Amino acid sequence: MNFKKIGVIGGGTMGQGIAEMLAAKGLDVLLVEKTAEKLDYSYEMIETSLDKQLEKWAITQAEKKLILSRIQKVTHFAELSSCDMVIETIVEDLEEKKKILNQLDQVCPNHIILASNTSTLSLTELASSTMYPERVIGMHFIYPVAKVDLVEIVRGLKTSDATFEDTKSFVDEIVEKKGVMIYESPGFVTSRLICLFINEAMHVLQEGVASAQDIDDAMRIGYQFQYGPLEMADRFGLDSVLAALENMFREYGELKYRPSTILKKMVRAGQLGMKSGEGFFKYDKDGDRV
Amino acid sequence: MNILVINSGSSSLKYQLYNMTDESVLAKGLVERIGMDSSILNHKPTGKAEVTEVSEILEHNTAIRKVLACLTDKEHGVIESIKEIDAVGHRVVHGGEFFKSSALVDADAKTKIRQLFDLAPLHNPAAMMGITASEVNMPGVPQVVVFDTAFHQTMPEKAYMYAIPRVLYNKYKVRRYGAHGTSHDFVSKAAAEYLERPLEDLKIITCHIGNGGSVTAVQGGVSVDTSMGMTPLEGLMMGTRSGDLDPAIVPYVMNKEELSVGEVNSMLNKHSGLLAISGVSSDMRDIIDGMEKGEPNSTLAFEMYEYRLRKYIGSYTAAMNGVDAIVFTAGVGENASLLREKLLNNLTFLGIELDAEANKVRSGDPRRISTEDSKVQVLVVPTNEELVIARDTHRIVQGING
Repeated sequence: MNFKKIGVIGGGTMGQGIAEMLAAKGLDVLLVEKTAEKLDYSYEMIETSLDKQLEKWAITQAEKKLILSRIQKVTHFAELSSCDMVIETIVEDLEEKKKILNQLDQVCPNHIILASNTSTLSLTELASSTMYPERVIGMHFIYPVAKVDLVEIVRGLKTSDATFEDTKSFVDEIVEKKGVMIYESPGFVTSRLICLFINEAMHVLQEGVASAQDIDDAMRIGYQFQYGPLEMADRFGLDSVLAALENMFREYGELKYRPSTILKKMVRAGQLGMKSGEGFFKYDKDGDRV
Repeated sequence: MNILVINSGSSSLKYQLYNMTDESVLAKGLVERIGMDSSILNHKPTGKAEVTEVSEILEHNTAIRKVLACLTDKEHGVIESIKEIDAVGHRVVHGGEFFKSSALVDADAKTKIRQLFDLAPLHNPAAMMGITASEVNMPGVPQVVVFDTAFHQTMPEKAYMYAIPRVLYNKYKVRRYGAHGTSHDFVSKAAAEYLERPLEDLKIITCHIGNGGSVTAVQGGVSVDTSMGMTPLEGLMMGTRSGDLDPAIVPYVMNKEELSVGEVNSMLNKHSGLLAISGVSSDMRDIIDGMEKGEPNSTLAFEMYEYRLRKYIGSYTAAMNGVDAIVFTAGVGENASLLREKLLNNLTFLGIELDAEANKVRSGDPRRISTEDSKVQVLVVPTNEELVIARDTHRIVQGING
């Protein structure tokens, strides 16, 4: 399989990161959003991200321009028919994702891999909405996409070996990240472990064992995480963490996955972390801690 | 036999088409500013009018396609079809310890060139893009790679080893490799010819200074030391590269600015040198313009550049216990007469007498810019890496054909 042009559906945080990273690797990207306004916003966010890298000397003006030139804005699904692979990365909602995969199934030739960047949902169930479930696979990128060199490649029940092999070589050789093979299971490996870690940190906070800052410092410095568990949750988005925990709680039925009440409270109050400016900590609009 | 020589830089692509029966150049040209919206393709067919085309060329594949279109164009082309190109020769910066001489491109060679990306982050990927683009556009045509490091393989151990734990050399081949070997080789030979003295008897310091730059001590025709190191980052201050610095600065800055390895690499390779100090340009012409307008940052950039180059010349004079000739070549070396003037007037202790008038002459030929009696002869020798590449390609391709 020759991967040259990749469709990315959804221009949210992950969609922006994936589109930018693929373009930086030299691939042509068709970025899809529902409306032209949303698309423009996503594109601007990618530009902002590149500007930040330019400031940090990571890229040059010419490289920025080249990366942007490879990202094409698309609002019509029909245009995806020319893609060599499509990655959907819309909100973590089973029905919405099924709808998207069903549409892609009709637009893309049946040998084209349809990947979902879901972090918790069942690939088998997502694939059930298509006529060719063997070409549906999970490709779970981790935020920030450009910096984290890991992709969970998730096999649904019907995902074919060929689909897996092609995806694996795409991840290893073209995207140049480490691809780990995972059999479908709620939360896969990374979300399952990290959400439990974050949830436990919230329990510790609620019990008054330590302050948010001290919990984060303890784990960040003590165990060499880039961010402590609470800042990590802020950066993922507290609503996403909640959704992931609720999903795993439902799927496994085990109490250890039950989201902490403080997390529910904060999400209800609209304190979603970095993207809303406040979560366990406060953030400016560039996403830096204040 | 017609041979197309391709020299892919990070943002430029030079090409020359040679007819090897008489080593004549059928056409040559340059694509500049690749990656920008106003890329310039300058095509010079021998005996025909020159063509300049400004368009958006964002990568090397497009650049080569345009070059081939120019070469076969009805009006300003020089060949009927691409089929008349019998072989392609590529300049590759880094051959590591894999390549001690030029080689035919095959899967193995490509893998090795890719393995060396870390060592020449600006250049090996560009060369690889040139090779891939040639394969796509000229399928089945043999390709040869000529390495910038090959000439420096003669350096003695004391010159190529770094004073760090030996295990790093054993495990990763961390050592000095140097660069611009084809150029240092070519101009040192040309200098000996010009001076009509046997190469074996001469101690020559060759200064290849363009956007990247290196100085080589050539004793008896072989490289005994050179300023570029394991990567093209060491040595002189360059257009966008820092050259020598205290290695402790790297972890210090990484820590302070929270930079990743990739970011700090990019900072030192693409955001430093003349560009960083002047704040305006990586191009010596702009720096001299700025200096003449009294701009302090450009003036400092120029002074640092000259000072650092001068220190290398002094150091290699000591390395060889003397010097018979100093040679300037490449973009800055061949054209920046002001730089040569300032530099040489600061080296009078070596017995150098600059011929101020000769220094100002612009020409495509080798020339002397010191007085004839100067104790150390100083020459400007336009480099011709392309010819060396064409000759090597010719030799290797003839080998496989016959």
